Amino acid sequence: MAMNFDDLKNDWNAESSSEPNVSADMLKIKQARTPVDIIRRKMKHEFTYQIVALILMAAFPYLFGFSPHMKLIFLAFFAITCGFTAHYFFKFYRFYKNSCDMTMDSRKSILWFFYEMKLNIELYKALTYIIAFIWVGFISVYLLIEKTGAINKVLAKLSPSYILLNCFITIVIIGVITELWAWYYYGRYLKRVKTIVDELDFE
Amino acid sequence: MPLMKETETTFLTLINQHKAIIHKVSKMYMNDVELQRDLFQEIVMQLWKAYPSFKGNSKFSTWMYRVALNTALVYFKKDNRKVDKTPLDENIDIVDINESELKEEKLAYLYKAVQELNAVEKALIFLFLENQSHREIAENLGITEVNARVKLNRTKEKLQFIIKKNGYEF
Repeated sequence: MAMNFDDLKNDWNAESSSEPNVSADMLKIKQARTPVDIIRRKMKHEFTYQIVALILMAAFPYLFGFSPHMKLIFLAFFAITCGFTAHYFFKFYRFYKNSCDMTMDSRKSILWFFYEMKLNIELYKALTYIIAFIWVGFISVYLLIEKTGAINKVLAKLSPSYILLNCFITIVIIGVITELWAWYYYGRYLKRVKTIVDELDFE
Repeated sequence: MPLMKETETTFLTLINQHKAIIHKVSKMYMNDVELQRDLFQEIVMQLWKAYPSFKGNSKFSTWMYRVALNTALVYFKKDNRKVDKTPLDENIDIVDINESELKEEKLAYLYKAVQELNAVEKALIFLFLENQSHREIAENLGITEVNARVKLNRTKEKLQFIIKKNGYEF
């Protein structure tokens, strides 16, 4: 049996929908599933985790019995962390509230998705790096002040190049974990959108 | 509130007049019936969200094409079911089936073949079947008219090949 595009077009346009009508209830449901909506939802969850983490962190001086001097230093680091978190989450919040114009042509609409997602993933990574380095800094200060004796003994046994190498490895590990986490949590959605942009641009 | 209710009623009337467009897009982009239903809902929701921006400068159906396709292009719910590449019915006896069944059969083959196209190719074929010109396809997808023509021709060839491979004459 033969088939051609003219036939298909005719059959296609003659096809009627026997599906039930759209009801008002259908307009009230919703968990949108576009990549931007998924990322927004995940960022909302992360905001909750971050708040819980900050509350738990506030208890550290009491849990670990910090000296009054150390408590002050902790407070400074904690305030800086809160400041950065608030700054970045305010940006994420703006992303959360900013909705896409789905009535643009497909290329514009998808590019909007792509750049919004990319920007926010980069912001997310920046926040993760900043927080990681602040707390590596704090741990170093803590060890140097509170455990001076033990640290001096350890440092005396190690060569400066070995210490530098360890610092470098720590930075690499933080970098790798951040990149992998951002990829796993957000990046795969970005890849999917990028594929569509590439398909549209391919000539 | 009455104004809101009125807007909702107008929107539902328009949507129900053109619901076939959403069904067709859902069937093109999702293989599984359950997922087609989810995509249908997603498109309806995106249309409802975008409805305040519909000023009536273009036809409702034209506006709908864009929102429906843009939603389907970035819809992220994985259709994990593998595309079934076996012919729908290897022993079609043309004498035994009437014209409307034959049309249905052809469309079933089309929907099945379309599952092997990528997201942009599906959009191209959809707009072509909806009788859109090369210029309109280009405007909807945001590409040049030349590019739309080239891409559409390639996609038609690919679709033809898939349909033949699946056991239908083309």
